Amino acid sequence: MGEQETLLGDIRVLDLADQKGVYCTKLLADLGADVIKIEMPSGDPMRRIGPFFHDEPDPEKSLYWFQFNTSKRGITLNLDTADGREIFKSLVKTADVMVETFPPGYLDEIGLGYLVLKELNPRLILTSITPFGQTGPYMDFESSDLIAQAMGGLMYLAGFPEDPPHKLHGSQAYHSASVQAAVGTTVALYARELTGRGQQVDVSLQESVLMSLETAMQHYDLRKEIRTRVSREIPIAAGIGLYPCKDGHIWSYIVAGAGAGWDVILDWLDSEGMAGDLKDPEWAEVFELLGNFRALIAMANDPPALMARLGQFAHINEIVVAFLMKHTKREIFEAAAPRRIMMVPAQSPKDLTECPQLEALGYFVDVEHPELGTSLKYPGAPCYHISDAPWRISRRAPLIGEHNADIYEKELGLSMEQLAILKQEGAI
Amino acid sequence: MEERELPLKGIRVCDFSWYAASPVATKYLADFGAEVIKMEYSAHPDLIRLAMPSALGKENDLSAGGWFNNQNSSKLCLGLNLTHARAKEIYHKLILASDVVWENFSPGIKERLGLNYEDYVKLKPDIIWIDQPMQGLVGPYKYTAGFGSLITPFGGLSYLSGLPHRPPVGTGTNYTDYVINPGHLAIAVFAALRRRKQTGKGRHIVMAQYASAVSILETAILDYTVNNRIQPRMGNRISYAAPHGCYRCKGEDRECIRYSTIGAMPGRKDDRWCVIAVFSDEEWEAFCDVIGNPTWTKDPRFSTLLGRKEHEDELDRLVEEWTIQRSPEEVMMLMQQAGVPAGVVQDAEDILVHDPQVRARGYYVYLDHSVTGHSAYDGIGYKLSETPGKLTRAAPRIGEHTEYVCKEILNMAEEEINEYLVEGVLEVG
Repeated sequence: MGEQETLLGDIRVLDLADQKGVYCTKLLADLGADVIKIEMPSGDPMRRIGPFFHDEPDPEKSLYWFQFNTSKRGITLNLDTADGREIFKSLVKTADVMVETFPPGYLDEIGLGYLVLKELNPRLILTSITPFGQTGPYMDFESSDLIAQAMGGLMYLAGFPEDPPHKLHGSQAYHSASVQAAVGTTVALYARELTGRGQQVDVSLQESVLMSLETAMQHYDLRKEIRTRVSREIPIAAGIGLYPCKDGHIWSYIVAGAGAGWDVILDWLDSEGMAGDLKDPEWAEVFELLGNFRALIAMANDPPALMARLGQFAHINEIVVAFLMKHTKREIFEAAAPRRIMMVPAQSPKDLTECPQLEALGYFVDVEHPELGTSLKYPGAPCYHISDAPWRISRRAPLIGEHNADIYEKELGLSMEQLAILKQEGAI
Repeated sequence: MEERELPLKGIRVCDFSWYAASPVATKYLADFGAEVIKMEYSAHPDLIRLAMPSALGKENDLSAGGWFNNQNSSKLCLGLNLTHARAKEIYHKLILASDVVWENFSPGIKERLGLNYEDYVKLKPDIIWIDQPMQGLVGPYKYTAGFGSLITPFGGLSYLSGLPHRPPVGTGTNYTDYVINPGHLAIAVFAALRRRKQTGKGRHIVMAQYASAVSILETAILDYTVNNRIQPRMGNRISYAAPHGCYRCKGEDRECIRYSTIGAMPGRKDDRWCVIAVFSDEEWEAFCDVIGNPTWTKDPRFSTLLGRKEHEDELDRLVEEWTIQRSPEEVMMLMQQAGVPAGVVQDAEDILVHDPQVRARGYYVYLDHSVTGHSAYDGIGYKLSETPGKLTRAAPRIGEHTEYVCKEILNMAEEEINEYLVEGVLEVG
């Protein structure tokens, strides 16, 4: 693979990350970096996470492992052995980046702290992802994705006010931290072009989601208001929020200045005789208000004025819901989009997989799995189009120890006898 | 740290972006020293300036909005009316004087403004050009506009988030606008800037925000394409831990202002919750010790993970009987001292004012702004030991840097600037 074919083709990454950072190294690998996933000889614990290929639990069939380790190579290495650590040091000399997720201080304890690594390779960038960062009173706290989403404030805002807060699907604190870590790593790679030196990148799961609080922090800072969970099963405002439809839900964002206005929506309802009394002259004043962005903002800042309108909004919503319940989410989107009405389906994984837009973008990628005798259809992540340096999944996730021979024999020149000893002592 | 040490010093970004996901991305560059120049006009502002929250008593001031300000730190603003027929005379020159061009218009507006990489690469071969449309530059939905609040439902995250028996309520905020989408793109941009430094070669980078948002659904897509399974909403549960949930705690006995569906209302600080996550048998035993080993913990239904998963509703009810008598902070400290993962479901006050960890690490940065005063900004989500970046200035007012940009960058004469001002092309703010 020529260097110029990818943006990171000249970069080697040693991947010692668990769930917290596995997406970080995938992002770098799919941009062309030579990412070497380092597993314990028994196999990485992530291989135990389901779901599995055809629901057959097997360390070589974890879809979680597949998803997050594309384009990487894999070796087994046990850092708890002295030989393992020595081999690791040889690899550090060849690397540009190391991504790790150990508790703060662990690498120092096993003699592989940043100062040691820097001595071996001053150009190395050490990216660390931990629950609360490398410093501070909570640095040694136990955590998980759930804890980080809560401590980072994301959960407090998610859900219906009458329900407990809920976490976002998947492991969004892990994914946010991984993205932040990959950004920090590429900044450090850029800076290295200027300084010739590497550095440390310290990412905290908790901090990595704070930006996603949107306006909650500013509400408190500027106005001493605590932003809360606001969603309703039927929106309180006309046209803004989640609505039920025949086969699921749609999300509507009918806001002045964003796409078509209520005149277009009423015509749409009316074309099926379902606009009710909303075309009567007495409603014109309400729709004029709904079409004026500044007036709406003023109303949002004036709770009594808003309350006085709630009955009207409820009536509009009743008519809108009756219309939506007659249609599927796909029908609604296909009618709304050409009218520039901002209504989209809450898409399921099936809807996404069948989406013609994602297909047209070349979003789905077939990746060969010779051992399974088939190829699997993967999502692109995030599927950029980059001129002369395409984003791509270059290979499926590695098998356990798949590239031991490449690295240990061909690159480090270890003999068969040495490898046999290392294997017996559990170092590789 | 001196500004001259910021790694992107000398990189100029011509920033057409507005709303959220793209301005957040250009903030990533600005906070590392890039000269990011926004273009806005009072009659056609970045509409997020109008959104809540504004500084108290300044609700009609375009410079008082916390949403806009937070994501536009360290940037400059040229007062330029992009709807004016002569605007292109200005932005054309600015593009040619820039290293990076960034836009997130729908393809219709992009075409109207003539913002095409193919045209500009001929004039400036080393340009790095970013298109960040909602749906992409090709495909059947290419012209379908959208906003951040549409991406979480459209991109699948809403369907998968929340409680199984409840509607797909979504994520609370336009989650992918703030880290996921801007971050995905920033990774490629920093990598492209590095390549350009090595080789002098520019790039065209296109990222559909919709596609980027679908990329963080973990195994949901593969599980469907491989196993034909549509993953359900799981609430706060995961298959390999229990208890693993969110539990009500004792409220605080004080008043506060709550911002909800109907605006700001007086309320009480009683909406308090904690989270607890027990993965291993050791953590389960430690958890039982912390709550004083009540008899139910010895019930065979709860002594194994399989049992706890099978009786999880009842388990959660019993856990909450204990948490409801305590503040979430007390629950967190007791559990953490015993090595059990636990935390507080923090609101913004908890995080900004009280959280000793966030404060100790100095995540939030306070900047002086001519309208909002001394106010808080999100800092940088990755701490670099040698080139940490810096929020160099508060968000700009519209046209705050018109004179600087026109004179110093575009080499325009005073009379020329005045002519554009009179014609309503330029604005000084």
